[in-house]
Amino acid sequence: MSLRIAGMGWVTPLGRGVDAVWGRLLRGDEAPVQPISDSVSDKAYSAFRVPAEALKDLPPHPRLRRASAISRFAAAAGIDALAEARSTIGEIEAERLALVFAVSNGGVVYTKRFYHNVVESGAQSASPLLFPETVFNAPASHLAAILGITGTSYTLVGDGAVGVLAIKMASDLLDNEALDFCLVVAAEEADWLLCDAYHKWRLLKKEPPIELFRDPPRGMILSEGAGAVLLARQGAVQIDAIDLGGNFSQRREANAIVRRVLHDLADEHACIVASANGTFIDLAERNAIERELPSALVYSAKPALGESVGASTLWQTITGVQALRTRRLPPMLHSDPEAGLSFSTLGEISFKKVIVLNCGLNQQVAGLRLSI
Amino acid sequence: MESNQNRGPSGTEMSRFNDVSGKTGQYRVAVVAAGVLSPLGFGLDETLASLRANKDCVSPVTRFDVEKCRCKTAGQISDERLLSGRGNERKTERLHRATRMMMAVFEELFGQDPEFKPELTVIGTTSGGMSFGEDYYRGLHRHQGLRHSPGWIANYPPQKPVIDAQHAFEISTPCQIIANACASGTNAIGHAFECVRSGKYQRVLTGGYDALSELVFVGFDSLQAATPEKCRPFDRDRSGMVLGEGAAIFALENLESARARGARILGEIIGYGISTDNHHLTQPDPSGSGPRRAMEQALQSANRSAEEVDYINAHGTATTFNDAAEGKAVAELFGDVPISSTKSMMGHSLGAAGAIEAVVCLLALQAQFVPPNINFRNADRDLNLNIVANESREAKIDIILSNSFGFGGTNASILIQKLAA
Repeated sequence: MSLRIAGMGWVTPLGRGVDAVWGRLLRGDEAPVQPISDSVSDKAYSAFRVPAEALKDLPPHPRLRRASAISRFAAAAGIDALAEARSTIGEIEAERLALVFAVSNGGVVYTKRFYHNVVESGAQSASPLLFPETVFNAPASHLAAILGITGTSYTLVGDGAVGVLAIKMASDLLDNEALDFCLVVAAEEADWLLCDAYHKWRLLKKEPPIELFRDPPRGMILSEGAGAVLLARQGAVQIDAIDLGGNFSQRREANAIVRRVLHDLADEHACIVASANGTFIDLAERNAIERELPSALVYSAKPALGESVGASTLWQTITGVQALRTRRLPPMLHSDPEAGLSFSTLGEISFKKVIVLNCGLNQQVAGLRLSI
Repeated sequence: MESNQNRGPSGTEMSRFNDVSGKTGQYRVAVVAAGVLSPLGFGLDETLASLRANKDCVSPVTRFDVEKCRCKTAGQISDERLLSGRGNERKTERLHRATRMMMAVFEELFGQDPEFKPELTVIGTTSGGMSFGEDYYRGLHRHQGLRHSPGWIANYPPQKPVIDAQHAFEISTPCQIIANACASGTNAIGHAFECVRSGKYQRVLTGGYDALSELVFVGFDSLQAATPEKCRPFDRDRSGMVLGEGAAIFALENLESARARGARILGEIIGYGISTDNHHLTQPDPSGSGPRRAMEQALQSANRSAEEVDYINAHGTATTFNDAAEGKAVAELFGDVPISSTKSMMGHSLGAAGAIEAVVCLLALQAQFVPPNINFRNADRDLNLNIVANESREAKIDIILSNSFGFGGTNASILIQKLAA
């Protein structure tokens, strides 16, 4: 079966809309970080946030009235992906559309607020309005209600690689001839609690820039937003390979799995959209690229957009699709010139394939290959 | 062409279904091994004994303070036994209880079939290592040093218990972790079934897990979905659920492949249905249309009629609206087929529930009995159901339907069949 991309939606700290965000990346723009703090501690961090105006024209829907930011991001990206597809292929029947939602951290804003009330004032203070929004599949439920999806809907949880697992699930679902489309959406929301957790896990730096492929790594900065791709049997860009990779128990084991995934996906006419984010991932990817595709052009949008964890694969996939559609790659920001890799500089490109490589922060590695 | 996991069965002639649902699946799907851990017991044998003894395994909550909650009971797993199992060495001492649960069910499953080599793992859960998140937040709130916090953070994500259990058994299979609320376990089994049935995979490991946590307990209590009394599914006086915890996993394999290698066949998954009910985030459409579509789709997927189903293991949470919607759909579709909710015995283990209940169904098929819906006192005159009230009973059963429905409107049903010798 041919697995193709029929529409995309992108909500990022550089704004909303595939063409708008892509234009800014091509210009070399870098989203500003915002300070993020919490009453529970004096520590402050930075995060890339989605600007408020990005969601100003989100259609009103009762389900979004009390929904958390993550659900709004997911809704905006999903609606945009369907709108793009409808503009080229016409009507999409909801009963022939499945939904796969990918996430890592989930609705942490409401979860923290809910539990804070419990810790602060006891169980009798727990909010029955907040609790349902804390479940991982709340954004998918809202999106299904908005789009009128009454059939298949899955929420997948994992680390950064969860997006590849979600696209693979969508591919398997589309084997069912009762379905024509599968909307894959991934989203995250930023919160101080996440920053603190990743900082304590020694993965976060407090101020930009995110510097890539440095040894030793200098840390990442969290981001928020959503990405959506509508998978179909028609569309200009094809997903021609998906490699679900494997899992590592120690970080040092990531090298071998990343290399194996890249080996399986390698194509001499491909460039690489990497998951490098300023952590141990950079070294695993650098090691794999040096050995498997040493002359491949490498790009990561994370210095410009931040690390969106569960949404990162979808952002990488959208980046790859746009590179193939526009025959351009944005300039790589803040990479180590001594890293020994070929980083993208703005200019026309001739390759017809893109490898999306994703090494997650918590044990999962996977990748896929796009072609036009 | 996809680069991996895309290998169809070869070398054997496969049985084909006349599938009317539009799915391309052609291959029969066997359960070749299973592992279970729940308040009913550790392993298949203890679980079967508890089911036949109509045991009430719900007890006062001991893991956290429930003084200010309406509900004060849950189905719980003994830490004493859990911690004495595999994974007790020093390097794994910081693992979450959920990881230990997964290790226990892995041990049982691979004890039955050490040769089972999965290509994919699909597991359902709702809250992963939630209690570590709670420990972390409480530590922050108290301005404590949080010496253990990196371990809590690393072991909190839902994929972690699965991947760590896999590592303990030297497996590095990619893991899809489904978080479709209370339907997660059945969704996981259903998706795994479709993966094998399509011929894309020969062997998939599947199931579900969830460990009791304060946040989730208090959440259901705040919704007044949890009862301060006994859990009485489908009873006129039902007043809500009690929570539970546990894990269950299955080794699913292409039937012909399993037979070819001489694997023991415990049962066969024959159908799966999934639907989404957009009525409300936490309440089903009172018409029962969501559950009904999932059950109809499961029947259609198996090419079976409702008359062929011998027993229904209900979602049956004992909340007013859920039982009413499920009961209405079941009565309309199946008439007086015997039905029970085994959550009455062990509580609702959320992401694990569908998987544990699928084990209950397998045991019922093997031992030819229907498990009970305990604490049942008065029939609800609005629900025209044939409840297996309070005591298990012998029955000739060949096909069972198992339901799971969850927050967000996710509905899942699977059909399990006894395989003729």
